Amino acid sequence: MKRKSLLVAAVLAALVSGPATAACSFRNEVPVRILSAAFEAWKSVTDAMAECGNVTASLDQEFRTKLSAAFAAKPALYQMAGVSNTTIPPLLNQNTIRPLNDLVEKHGQHLKPNQLIKVGDDIVAVAMMVNTQELAYRKDIFDELGLEVPGTYDELFEVAEKIRESDKVAYPLGGTTMSGWNLALEWINFYASLAGDSFVNPDGTPNFNNENGIRALELLKRTTEYMDPEYLMSDSTFVQQQMQHGKIAMANLWASRVGAMDNEAESTVVGKVHTAPSPIAAEGARPVAMLYWDGIVIPRNISDEAAEAAFRVAMEGLSTEMVQAHNDDAVWLIDGYQPGRLAEGAVATATADPGPVPYPMTIEMGLVHSAIGNQISGFFTGTKSAEAALMAAEEEYRTAAGEAGLLH
Amino acid sequence: MSTSKALRQPVTLRMLSASFLTFWCLLAAFPIVWIAVMSVKAPLDAFASNPFDVILGPITKAQGRGLTVLDIAVLLIGLWLAVRVAMRVLPGLAARYSPPGFLALGWVVVILGYGIALFLLGFVVLPPVLGAINAALGLDPLIGLTTQHYHSVWVKNAFWKNFVNSAVVTTGVVTISLTVGTLAGYGLARSGSNLAFWLLIAALIFRALPHSVLVAGYLPIFINSAEILRPILGENAPTLYGQPLAVIAVLVSINQPFTIWMLRSFFQSIPAELDEAARVDGCTHFQAFRRVIMPVMWPGVITTGLFSFLLAYNDFLVTSLLLDQSDMTMVPAIAGYFNRETTMTDQVEAIAAAVSITAPLFLLVMIFQRQIVSGLTAGAVKG
Amino acid sequence: MRFKTFACFVGPSLLLMVLFIAVPLVSVFIQSFHVTQPVIERIETERCTAGFLEQQCSTEIKNVPVLDERGSIVTTTRFVGLENYRAVVRPDSVQAAISSWNWPALMAIDFWKALRFTLSFTLITLPLVIGLGLTIALAVNNTTRSIRGPVIFVSLLPYIITPVIGALSIRWLFVGDGILTQAMEAWSGRQISMFAQGWTIELLMLFYRVWHVAPFAFVIFYAGLQTMNRDAIEAAMMDGASRFERLRYVIIPHLMPLIFFVSLIHLMDAYRVFEEVVGFRSQAHVISLQWLTYDLLQPDDAGNRAVSRASASAMLTMIGIVILLVPLLRKSWRDHKGVR
Repeated sequence: MKRKSLLVAAVLAALVSGPATAACSFRNEVPVRILSAAFEAWKSVTDAMAECGNVTASLDQEFRTKLSAAFAAKPALYQMAGVSNTTIPPLLNQNTIRPLNDLVEKHGQHLKPNQLIKVGDDIVAVAMMVNTQELAYRKDIFDELGLEVPGTYDELFEVAEKIRESDKVAYPLGGTTMSGWNLALEWINFYASLAGDSFVNPDGTPNFNNENGIRALELLKRTTEYMDPEYLMSDSTFVQQQMQHGKIAMANLWASRVGAMDNEAESTVVGKVHTAPSPIAAEGARPVAMLYWDGIVIPRNISDEAAEAAFRVAMEGLSTEMVQAHNDDAVWLIDGYQPGRLAEGAVATATADPGPVPYPMTIEMGLVHSAIGNQISGFFTGTKSAEAALMAAEEEYRTAAGEAGLLH
Repeated sequence: MSTSKALRQPVTLRMLSASFLTFWCLLAAFPIVWIAVMSVKAPLDAFASNPFDVILGPITKAQGRGLTVLDIAVLLIGLWLAVRVAMRVLPGLAARYSPPGFLALGWVVVILGYGIALFLLGFVVLPPVLGAINAALGLDPLIGLTTQHYHSVWVKNAFWKNFVNSAVVTTGVVTISLTVGTLAGYGLARSGSNLAFWLLIAALIFRALPHSVLVAGYLPIFINSAEILRPILGENAPTLYGQPLAVIAVLVSINQPFTIWMLRSFFQSIPAELDEAARVDGCTHFQAFRRVIMPVMWPGVITTGLFSFLLAYNDFLVTSLLLDQSDMTMVPAIAGYFNRETTMTDQVEAIAAAVSITAPLFLLVMIFQRQIVSGLTAGAVKG
Repeated sequence: MRFKTFACFVGPSLLLMVLFIAVPLVSVFIQSFHVTQPVIERIETERCTAGFLEQQCSTEIKNVPVLDERGSIVTTTRFVGLENYRAVVRPDSVQAAISSWNWPALMAIDFWKALRFTLSFTLITLPLVIGLGLTIALAVNNTTRSIRGPVIFVSLLPYIITPVIGALSIRWLFVGDGILTQAMEAWSGRQISMFAQGWTIELLMLFYRVWHVAPFAFVIFYAGLQTMNRDAIEAAMMDGASRFERLRYVIIPHLMPLIFFVSLIHLMDAYRVFEEVVGFRSQAHVISLQWLTYDLLQPDDAGNRAVSRASASAMLTMIGIVILLVPLLRKSWRDHKGVR
């Protein structure tokens, strides 16, 4: 019987989800194609945009590979793209982003000043959300064992030790330490906590192979001692799943991922997870996190008419109604957002003093990120010392920067 | 049967061979059966650490979704019947009712028809009937089972669009690949020149080139093709990126080396006297090919076609990079589920999608199994 | 066959291969000796980025590519000889590692690490695939006719299943508390983590590849066995050949061309091993040559791609496979001569 009612529901859904334009304030006649990264918040936003009609969204895995070429084509293959501060540099460098000043003036008066991403006087992007790390922890276990929420990593290790002794969970800690991009990001967070965003010198030479770099590596290695031994393949989905299944008690995790802990369909720890600011790496340091934003950009190589249509559609997507319908999908910058219990930690991380630095929007940062990602895993598998790993990363950075024309 | 006494084997050897085969079959089928089981459970059951929870699905059952004894019995019998029909009846049907000379068309119709019939029977007719009987008999579910993931995949996430795209790309690749490859394979088989040999070797080396290099080379050109081709084609210059046709061309080319190697050795096994006799009768090479070779080449062509089908259907690297989201085929669409920042529900849906992808492959191999073996036996591979 | 007819037959196929394989190959070859880089200038800009409460603005000196009047990035291309190959192979580090007999130091260089894995992967799986394929073929040939159909069908499953999905399903069975890991833990009474150390991952990758490809070898050998001449076997029996001797001297020689064919295909495919590295997330422990090329080509967040090094690495992969194929190609050449 159940299956029959499912079928009926399907037919109903198909009828209802026809050409609905109810939630959009205008009828869009110009085709707008959107390319963006694929995660939940973009899905909510592009769905809201699609209500205006003539909108097709590609939430594409190969987004990074396709984006800059698609924007450089004449005319551009897409009328809008969803980017973040990590993915916007190639577009800025090839100058294929349309300045949005006129459109913001005409259609975006309601946008808050901190949503406008500027280079010089040009508004190049409109941000919709910020993302950062927060400490998700199992409040029930902490209460039972009488533990304090750790504010520094020294405290975190003590707490982790106690949780391990109590045998309440399989592993005290989880982390997004999959080798490559994820592991490098964790190291970058630690380094930024200790030394801010000084990864490279102004002349492009590397500046990460130093005491702080070593210390960041060693701290990161120490956290892995409390994790599942398979930590080198643990991405954020894996950590999220571990926590939902009650296998770990704490994780310094993306704010965008923690919301799933209260999803009743897949979590066994509904209501038990609370959040706190990301701990600091040492006294006086910043939280072990960086600030990211996600937002929309419009290419330069399209007609003004298409750009205007795209911008109006975007404003419909980044609306208060959308935020109210999907409040817990992200830490929204849009009016109407109410941080829930599982986002409190992220807000506290973002507003800490000294606060986390934004991930730098530079060509060099991408090179640092991949060099670190390729070279430090040897330190974790035990084939390289910390010094050798950072030295190898520095060498790789120099080779790559030489190829990219940054160093001579 | 016809085994002569001398060839009969001692019991120990037979036992050994049988137990080895059983072990191998388990090994071959287990991962696939397991993901099929996972795909019909609630997320918490599917990823439970206790294997019995995965099989029985207590949480799924608690949500009121499950199979009764009757359902299980009907399911098992139905599966067995479906396999029998596919293997025994369908090849005969296709051979008997397809118009002469259009055997391939007959196959396509039969396979499509069978797939649709199975789907209708399994998902539309049976559930309400069984549901009514179960309710009448007062049977309680025994095993937790839910089809909601399949429902979300196919209906909510519009996976059928990907299915259609896959069908377009695969059909295109198989047709073009075989047409082009048959000609080339025949030419190479009948030409003993050094040029032919070196072409074959070059093809082998082409096959060795890492695909990621090729594809990364195509991408910028495909995206900018409108601009590049404008001086030649004028305003109608197409953007190749996102065009299924462009992807078909790429996949056909990548697959050419394998295709021509297989078909060449198949044609070599057809005695050259056949077409030489035809040519003595005054036929050109093309006429000889059409009148004499074409009627006898089907076993080899079907086998080679299946390999082309597998390549096109299973391709990930080319399709994920060169197709736009709206034209995406099934495999990259699924990889999208896994790689993006997913929830557990997404993952189980991805598993359901993965099982859905595998189903047509099942059907195909079930039906064509005899043809594969006989095609290979007839000499599609002679090294 | 006249050249013109031959050209007509082979033309379309050749055109496709030239257009989509040979041309990219030549361009990769040329790129591997060049470096193309944008012209960079340093300018001072103020950039404002989003914060949760307020904007964060800073004025910095940035390295930015120079644009021409059409709005595209100005690039320079220069010939660098073997520089790119040197950057991949790192001959000085290799020399240092070899002269001090330091194996780990050699394995710390990506290219050699990848080469080590790719070669051992190829050479270990080859005999396993042939052996397993042959055993299954003999066993299936041995069973009664009525169950052959279903057995062949089940045996073919690992080969037809989409590789991405096959690798994932095997990973689920083993990762973390996957059920097979649990089974092994229950059996051995020890805590086992299959993905925590390199050698177990490598083992799983080997297992997966053999599982995936053995059915291909099987079906080809099985077809070969169907053409086996029964008289030859019976004659061998009359001569008093034991079961093993019959296998060794009658069956294997009959299947030799097929073993050759399967080896050829398998060597090429295994040398390009790539899906396993992605599917099993092994890059911290083992990487393959194609993965290395792929990784160099993959743009990082800032859009940088190491195209020149990737080209060099791709060419080295090609050279490696040609060397590996030489013995097999020589046999083809001899056959070719023989046929004529």
